[in-house]
Amino acid sequence: MVSPEAKKLAEERAARMQAALDLKEPDRVPFTGLGGDVIPAYAGITSYEYEFDFEKNRQAAVKWFTDFPSDSAPRVGLGGLDNQSMGVAFQDYPEIVSGVNSVNGPMNDVLKMKFVRFPGRELDENSARQFIGGKNMEPEEYDQLIADPVKFCFEVIMPRISGGLKDLGSPASLATMARFGLEKARQDAEMAKTMQALMELGYYFAPRGVCLAPLDLISDQLRDIPNLILDLRRYPDKVKAAAEALVEPMVKMGTMSIKAGAKECFIPLHLNEYLSPKQYNEFYWPTLKEVILKLVEAGMKVQVFFEGWHDAHLETILELPAGWGTAYFEKTDVRKAKKLLQGHTCIMGGIDVSDIISLTPAQLDENIKKLFDEMAPGGGFIFSPNIGTCPRETPIENVRAVYEAVEKYGKY
Amino acid sequence: MAVDAKQLAAERAARLKAAVELKEPDRVPFTGIGGDVIAAYAGITSYEFNFDYEKQCQAIIKYVKDFPSDQPVIGMTGLGNHVASMAFSDYPDLYPIISRVDGPTNDILGVDYCRFPGRELDENSSPQFIGREYMSAEEYDELIADPVKFCFEKILPRIVRAFRDMKAPEAHAAMARLALEKAKAGAAMRDMFRQLQELGYAPGGLSVFFAPLDFIGDQLRDIPNLIKDLRRYPDKVKAATEAVLEPLLKVSVNAKGPGVETAMIPLHLNEYLSPALYNEFYWPTLKEGILRLAELGMKSQVFFEGRHDAHLETILELPAGWGTAYFEKTDVRKAKKLLQGHTCIMGGIDVGMVISSTPAKLDEYIKEILGEMMPGGGFILAPNIGNLPRETPIENIRAVYEAVEKYGKY
Amino acid sequence: MREELLRSFVDMDEQEAVRIARELVETEGGAVAVLDTCKEAMEEVGRLFEAGEYFLSELIAAGDMFNQIMEFTLPKLQGEEVASLGTMVLGTVQGDVHNIGKDIFKVMAEASGINVIDIGIDVPHEKFVEAIKEHKPELVGMCCLITLGVDSMKRTIEVIKEAGLRDDIKIIIGGGRVSQAVMEHVGADAWADDAARGVRLSKELLGKE
Ligand code: B12
Repeated sequence: MVSPEAKKLAEERAARMQAALDLKEPDRVPFTGLGGDVIPAYAGITSYEYEFDFEKNRQAAVKWFTDFPSDSAPRVGLGGLDNQSMGVAFQDYPEIVSGVNSVNGPMNDVLKMKFVRFPGRELDENSARQFIGGKNMEPEEYDQLIADPVKFCFEVIMPRISGGLKDLGSPASLATMARFGLEKARQDAEMAKTMQALMELGYYFAPRGVCLAPLDLISDQLRDIPNLILDLRRYPDKVKAAAEALVEPMVKMGTMSIKAGAKECFIPLHLNEYLSPKQYNEFYWPTLKEVILKLVEAGMKVQVFFEGWHDAHLETILELPAGWGTAYFEKTDVRKAKKLLQGHTCIMGGIDVSDIISLTPAQLDENIKKLFDEMAPGGGFIFSPNIGTCPRETPIENVRAVYEAVEKYGKY
Repeated sequence: MAVDAKQLAAERAARLKAAVELKEPDRVPFTGIGGDVIAAYAGITSYEFNFDYEKQCQAIIKYVKDFPSDQPVIGMTGLGNHVASMAFSDYPDLYPIISRVDGPTNDILGVDYCRFPGRELDENSSPQFIGREYMSAEEYDELIADPVKFCFEKILPRIVRAFRDMKAPEAHAAMARLALEKAKAGAAMRDMFRQLQELGYAPGGLSVFFAPLDFIGDQLRDIPNLIKDLRRYPDKVKAATEAVLEPLLKVSVNAKGPGVETAMIPLHLNEYLSPALYNEFYWPTLKEGILRLAELGMKSQVFFEGRHDAHLETILELPAGWGTAYFEKTDVRKAKKLLQGHTCIMGGIDVGMVISSTPAKLDEYIKEILGEMMPGGGFILAPNIGNLPRETPIENIRAVYEAVEKYGKY
Repeated sequence: MREELLRSFVDMDEQEAVRIARELVETEGGAVAVLDTCKEAMEEVGRLFEAGEYFLSELIAAGDMFNQIMEFTLPKLQGEEVASLGTMVLGTVQGDVHNIGKDIFKVMAEASGINVIDIGIDVPHEKFVEAIKEHKPELVGMCCLITLGVDSMKRTIEVIKEAGLRDDIKIIIGGGRVSQAVMEHVGADAWADDAARGVRLSKELLGKE
């Protein structure tokens, strides 16, 4: 049972996040919290247990989110790895997309994806899960991708990347899908329990859509980054046409969660830091921008994770309508971003996970104080680590120092 | 489960077991009578009963509470999807997902031979099986060469709309959606089984097996064609029955849940065939199937649909204690004379009477049947057909249960 | 021809650069000339990168061109004295499978005259030790893109210390997760999160600049 106090706490937290999204000043600086592999370490369980056993995963999450309270909808459940090309393949079946779009450990036991590895399976039981990536498409196949991306992802790519689906139309491949369905049903029920446990602690949940920049889908999932970089010079027209062909599928992926109540779509960027402004503006940004605008048109806010250095392309963000959503930065200095984007874009980020690992509690306290002095005024700021994952070895006294500093300096 | 519920369940199971072992239990075991009337009794439409898991479970619980018996024929809705069971016989874990088509799963699959209330049928109809010719006579050789592959590659696409193109996204999505749907049903079912346990029923169920010639007649060729095939291509038909025997047994093993010791075998073609044809084409592989099931740890419960009188003696070819002969139109008294001490007999309640007679006459009728059938044991009282229609007068049903209570003690 | 090669290389004109190199390599002393020119070109590309004019995309394209040209040039250099600034053992640390950044750095380091022994990705601590024993490098380069790699580097350096090899080598760390704080935390000698700077610092550590 969710107590009235827990419900009230959840509402306050949600309101805090919403105020920042609306570019206003909340009561306190909203904080997404830290997470990642440090959660199972803190609970004294292996990464394997955390990634395969819902019961242990839930207990670890409850312990963490009790001891380290934060404001955003907590990211709980088994951790998954990106599998968006398969999401595109099944984009006409939303109930399947939410299970194939990202693959966790038990689901991978069913789908047998070629490019992922999990602790306790291919890896040591305390390793972090790995997405290895790789080339799954030849340059000669651009035309097929352009002609029908959904068909291409289904017929050509999926059999290459999933061991369970390597022979489409065979009993084995159909059986894989049935087992996928059984596993998905099991996981949905387990997730509901985990969410219930966290709601009892005063957290809230909000479904959100996920999609990629069209060019990232091609480079991460199909061509592999170095190949794509060369393609930009060797087959520029094809690459451009392929990115355009993927706009609709990406919008569909992003918006399909609206039915489930999603108000936000998350887009992590990968290629941005590789590209010169010229390439960015020619190959990357036009289709990404189109996707964002269509999501906004559909009534969603968008959270873009600008991975790596985004400094060279920062100004393009201003081409989006004010209030479009959140710019989450990894290496780009949030202070610098604020100067440019204040009043237009909500800014998220602020602390380098490498610092949380390597600095002292006193240094972290000091850094956060300074950061808040500069970033809090005027609102529209969400405090977050620059990367989602703190490793197992993160010193807990440093974690504590971060949460205490937020408590001390976060009041408006 | 409460102690008395547990005890009640144990008593009921022992009662049935004693009968199958040809002994006299404490009371005559009674399967109960159910069917479409369960939905009517709960005040819901057949459409709701077939498409709304929660309402279905509530209706069943209400009925079983008011009409307790030893092995209630709880209204398993839907129709068998036997070709799919065979096509996926190498995947035992998928049996629960693909072996039956009920309302919601038929919405996903689109099975050619299924008609459901509230969809193709009036909302208070029973689901219907309307078979057709799904295999041509020229294809016997393919069926014989590899029945599992043939069913998968050739027949499933003809029967199931979602499998028209096995390589397509639709087919793959259908499998996943089927599993998701069954999981939804499973949640409601688990709740129902828990309640049934509270009411003193042990979890369990039946495995299934089909006479090989029935599989070919019902699922592939359609009965009228098969009857002609027996004369036109006798060798192929015979070879085909032999070829499908193994995979059918595999399906029976897949269908055998934990604790299940009985396989249900409903016969269809038996009453169509002369003894000569029965003994040449039908009985040999059926008999072998029954013997093999025994090796696999299952007793058989053969439902001899229609009139089995002409073939009754063949049952004696089976070893004594092989299982249960469940009769529809064949007179159980006549069967008893022949089979007592060899075969457990099941049946006895004429559903037609339950629908049209009066409580007083039913009381009399049950008294009479039990008086003749009980002595010596080896008898299970059951309706001759599993399905009582919606319109069955409740007072008649009540009369049957009361009569069993009154006259069923040994 | 050297001028043209240099220009087309630096301007990212792949077809032209490869064509000229193929021609040049067949001339007297051409192989050495091609090698030197390409090294010079890589250095220029690195400079443009550090100046913010070029981006990772150019580094990758340049690396690819360099490798393409070396494929037909190196066999012709057999027997020629190629000066080396020193040897570096390079790998992405345990738990981390990112290799693009390491590969970029590797080509640029090689182009600058450093002999690079690439021991791959997700490299266990002991493998670094073995490689140091085997190749006796002056430098060890570690690449780290994910946060758990920070601890991997720390432990690898501890293991190197335990093996008594720490004083024989200098250690430079690179990749997205490194910083001054991380360098101090793990006990390395230098850090760089861009390849050009990384090459410059490596040369400094070798005492060559
Ligand atoms: C591309 C990418 C991938 C590709 C990698 C392809 C490949 N073969 O390398 C794929 C898709 C396979 C991938 C997989 C994963 N990734 Co990744 N990935 C990235 C991304 C977007 C870019 C990394 C990159 O290549 N940058 C460009 C290169 C050129 O930069 P660089 O490595 O820093 O190299 C430069 C310099 O540092 C220097 N240099 C490099 N090496 C060396 C060595 C020495 C000695 C020196 C001196 C210099 C030097 O030279 C280079 C050129 O200037 C980053 C985000 C980011 N921007 O950091 C995430 C990121 C690194 N990945 C991340 C994660 C989590 C993963 C995955 C777990 C899957 C996932 N959830 O996405 C897996 C595998 C993790 C694992 N165990 O290793 C996280 C790491 C989070 C964390 N825990 O710290 C990041 C930070 C994304 C994020 N913000 O969440 N990823």
